[in-house]
Amino acid sequence: MKRSLTALTLALGLCAAASAQAQTTEITFWTWYLSPKFDPYIKDTIAAFEKANPTIKVKWFDKQASMVQDFVASVNLGNAPDVVNLNIDETAKAAQNGFLRPVDALTSPATLKATYYPQSLKNFTVNGKVYGYPWYGSLNEGVLLYNPDLLKQAGVSAPKNMTEMLNLVKTIKDKTGAYAWVPALKDPGGASFMGYFFSDGLAVYDAAGKAAFNSPAHVALLQRYVDLFKGGYLPEDALRKEAFQLATELYPQNKVAMIVGGPQALNRIKDTNPGLYAKTVVTTAPLGKAGVQTGTSMGLVIPTASKQAAAAAKFAAFFANNANQVAFAKIVPIIPTTSAAQNDPFFKTSSADPIAKATSLVGASGRFINPGFKTPGNSDDLYKNFSDNIEAALLGKKTAKAALDDTVTYWNANMSK
Amino acid sequence: MRVNWRLTLLSYTFLAPALILLAVFTFYPLAYGSYLGFTEYGGARFAQGLPPRWVGLDNFRTLAADDLFRTSLLNSVKYLLVVPALQLASLAVASLVNNSLPGMAFFRAAYYVPVVTSISLAAVMWEWVYNKDGTLNWVLGALHLLPATGAFGWLNNEGSAFWAVMLVTFWRGFGYYMVLYLAGLQNIPAELEEAAVLDGANAWQRFWRITVPLMKPTILLCSLLSTIAALRVLEEVLVLTNGGPLNSTYTALMYVYFKAFQGFNFDYGLASAAGLVVAVVALALSVANFRLFRDSSGENS
Repeated sequence: MKRSLTALTLALGLCAAASAQAQTTEITFWTWYLSPKFDPYIKDTIAAFEKANPTIKVKWFDKQASMVQDFVASVNLGNAPDVVNLNIDETAKAAQNGFLRPVDALTSPATLKATYYPQSLKNFTVNGKVYGYPWYGSLNEGVLLYNPDLLKQAGVSAPKNMTEMLNLVKTIKDKTGAYAWVPALKDPGGASFMGYFFSDGLAVYDAAGKAAFNSPAHVALLQRYVDLFKGGYLPEDALRKEAFQLATELYPQNKVAMIVGGPQALNRIKDTNPGLYAKTVVTTAPLGKAGVQTGTSMGLVIPTASKQAAAAAKFAAFFANNANQVAFAKIVPIIPTTSAAQNDPFFKTSSADPIAKATSLVGASGRFINPGFKTPGNSDDLYKNFSDNIEAALLGKKTAKAALDDTVTYWNANMSK
Repeated sequence: MRVNWRLTLLSYTFLAPALILLAVFTFYPLAYGSYLGFTEYGGARFAQGLPPRWVGLDNFRTLAADDLFRTSLLNSVKYLLVVPALQLASLAVASLVNNSLPGMAFFRAAYYVPVVTSISLAAVMWEWVYNKDGTLNWVLGALHLLPATGAFGWLNNEGSAFWAVMLVTFWRGFGYYMVLYLAGLQNIPAELEEAAVLDGANAWQRFWRITVPLMKPTILLCSLLSTIAALRVLEEVLVLTNGGPLNSTYTALMYVYFKAFQGFNFDYGLASAAGLVVAVVALALSVANFRLFRDSSGENS
């Protein structure tokens, strides 16, 4: 008798546990390089979501360098995450290979359009479908930071556009010994130089979607950089290191006069050279002939292998909504990709502190976030070829024309989808 | 002869733990990797949950047609030049620190430090050395070996980057081989040296006639390890030049690495095929190493 009672209790207990299990859904959320710096913000936002949706539990992990490898491995092992933070390029690659679910099937396209800037949605559109909820963004040009002493010594004022910028390069180097700025010539795994074409209104693809960045105008632009590079007016290390990294390394040592980029550069300068940080002037970025900014953003994607797509979509949409993006921008100078952010009073305040000033300058400019070209299929091989050819031109192994002609030929032969 | 089953079974029981581990973590991956080399298995197939598809020699044809792979394989083979320099230098230094003089322990430890230094730390240090405003240019300038305007970034120059990276490999491997040689040297009976001294042999003759022949097995082991290591060089290149400038330091293993781990565009098939080619080259070189040292030791005895 006693034994059967125990069995009954156990069975009842198991039933209760099982039904409780059925009521709550657990989803896994992966961010990229955000922990531990932004732990409080992320944990608070998750807590707010769980409070509003008591049936959904969120398990959060922060991934770093091994993000994509872990993603692939988790798909293989059958425990894929449900919401993943990827950038535009990786989203395109993952979507082209079939790793992701289109999110416009999970959240109505009308809602997406009402929430985000049209260009932000376009950034995450692959073959006509939206594959990510646009999240926080940054502008490549963003703001111009400069060392007023070096500019004064060179007898020049801050450039208002890229034409002025390129004209200043020689004067600044000759008069002060410091480089004017570090252009993004080459980066591992990307094709940042493409951004300069877009900035000058030069198309990367033709109407049929074929690579077409070898017109005389494209060649002339590359030639401009080649001449400066060969004259020793651009840092050699820019071929080996990311421009942003190199610029934030050289600026605090007074070896480069200006930084064109996101306000996040200021954080590093504040740490390494507080004196210079206080002197640094922040102003609007010099733009190319087309008068446009280039930029990139993060997105939240839902893997095909996710077993809780509906709950995942709910969470991703919440995390990337306007209120939460603006709240994020108050902690760190990111740019919200939600269209309501442009009217937020937070970005209208003025301040003397360089970081605060930069934030208000760029915070409302999410509509400009645009890498300037669509990620091509098979992008890794194509980007490598582009970088190799740009390098060959800069080092004088090929003429600028031959370099661009070769790249275009390679791209059109090897671009998939 | 009757097979002692009990003994055989017992032996295998003792071997089993190691064998099982080897099978799971070495033999199986090796076999599966070789199989993948003959298949199409990239991001797109993987995402749909499809298994690898047999394509025969297609991957090898792709490799043969790929300029980047040819460059990288050539660079890796060229990288073998580090082996003789490294072996000779570490053997020579090992026989120097083999003397029991006061303070020798310090030198032995000092030479070993690079082996235990993490590569990221070493990269920062060598960056300072090779930088345009770095130590190397400063030293050369101070010695008047470099004209005042001749300073250049050693890692940014197509002609020098390869050798600069090779020097880092030399620096990293030196201590390791030195310790192996030191162990070998301690096994050489002191009487042989003493006898040679009595016969009037100078230090140089003693090194060539006694140390080197007696060290043949150790030399074989070290040059074999060193050959394989040189062929598989990856870390130094990744942290110092990432293959540039103009792919002059792009090695075969980098090609494998990038094909296998380039985000969602990964191509396990092509990467495995490239890995197989490197393995075949390594195997051929190992055989050559064996031949070289076995034949000459045969003559001597």
